[in-house]
Amino acid sequence: MNRATKKWLFLKVSSVVLVPLMAWFIINLVSVFNKDYIDVVAFFSNQPSKILVSLLMVFAYFFSALSISEIFEDYIQDEKIKNAANKAVNIFAIIMPLITIIIIFNLNT
Amino acid sequence: MENNNPLSPHIQIYRWHISSLVSISHRITGIINIVALTVICFWIASLLLGENSYEFTKVFLNSIFGKFIILSLTWSFSFQMLSEARHLIMDLGYGFELKTTKITGLIVIIGSFVLTVLIYLLGKQFI
Repeated sequence: MNRATKKWLFLKVSSVVLVPLMAWFIINLVSVFNKDYIDVVAFFSNQPSKILVSLLMVFAYFFSALSISEIFEDYIQDEKIKNAANKAVNIFAIIMPLITIIIIFNLNT
Repeated sequence: MENNNPLSPHIQIYRWHISSLVSISHRITGIINIVALTVICFWIASLLLGENSYEFTKVFLNSIFGKFIILSLTWSFSFQMLSEARHLIMDLGYGFELKTTKITGLIVIIGSFVLTVLIYLLGKQFI
C-alpha cells in the first residue's frame, strides 16, 4: 500500500469515528457551556465524558493534521516549506490532545 | 530536488457550483472546528485554576456574544458532520451524477441549519 493510499484510509477511518463523537460532544457542549463551574467540572470529570472527550481530541487532531497536509499539498510548491509546515502541524496535533487528556484525567469534582 | 507537481488553481478562477461551495465550506469549517477545539482545550485547562477564576469565562459564555459563538460552532460542527457523511457515501461509489451531487450538496447546506436547531434544542433539553 503506498503512502497516499494509507493517508486516505486513515482519513476515512478517523472521519467514521469522528462523526458520532462530534455529535455527542456538540450536544453536551450546548447543554453545559453556560452552567456553573461545578457543573462544567462534573461533566468533564465523569468517566464516560473523560473517555469520549479524550477520543474526540485524539481523532480530531489526527484528522485535522491529515486534512491540513492535503491543503499544503495543494497550495505549497516548495518541498522544504511544505515539510516544515507538516512537521509543525504534526507536533501541534500530538501535544494539544496529550495535554488536554492529562488535564481531564486530573480534574476532580 | 525540484518538485514540479502542479498546484491546485486558486478557487476564484472557478465558476461557483453547489459542489464547489460545499467543498470550500468543508475546508473552512474544518479549520474553524480545529481552532474551536483548541480554544475548548484552553477552556478545559482553565478549569484547573478553580471556581473564582472561572467567573469571567462564565459571564462571557452567558453573554449574547458567547451564545452566538456556541451557536455558530454548532452550525460549523453540523456542516462538517453532514459534509463528511456525504464524502463517505461518495467514497462508497454513490452520488457522482451531476444532479445527485447538487441534491446532496443542498441537503448538506440546508441540513446543517436544521441540524443546528435540533442540536441546540436537544442540548437545552427542549426535545
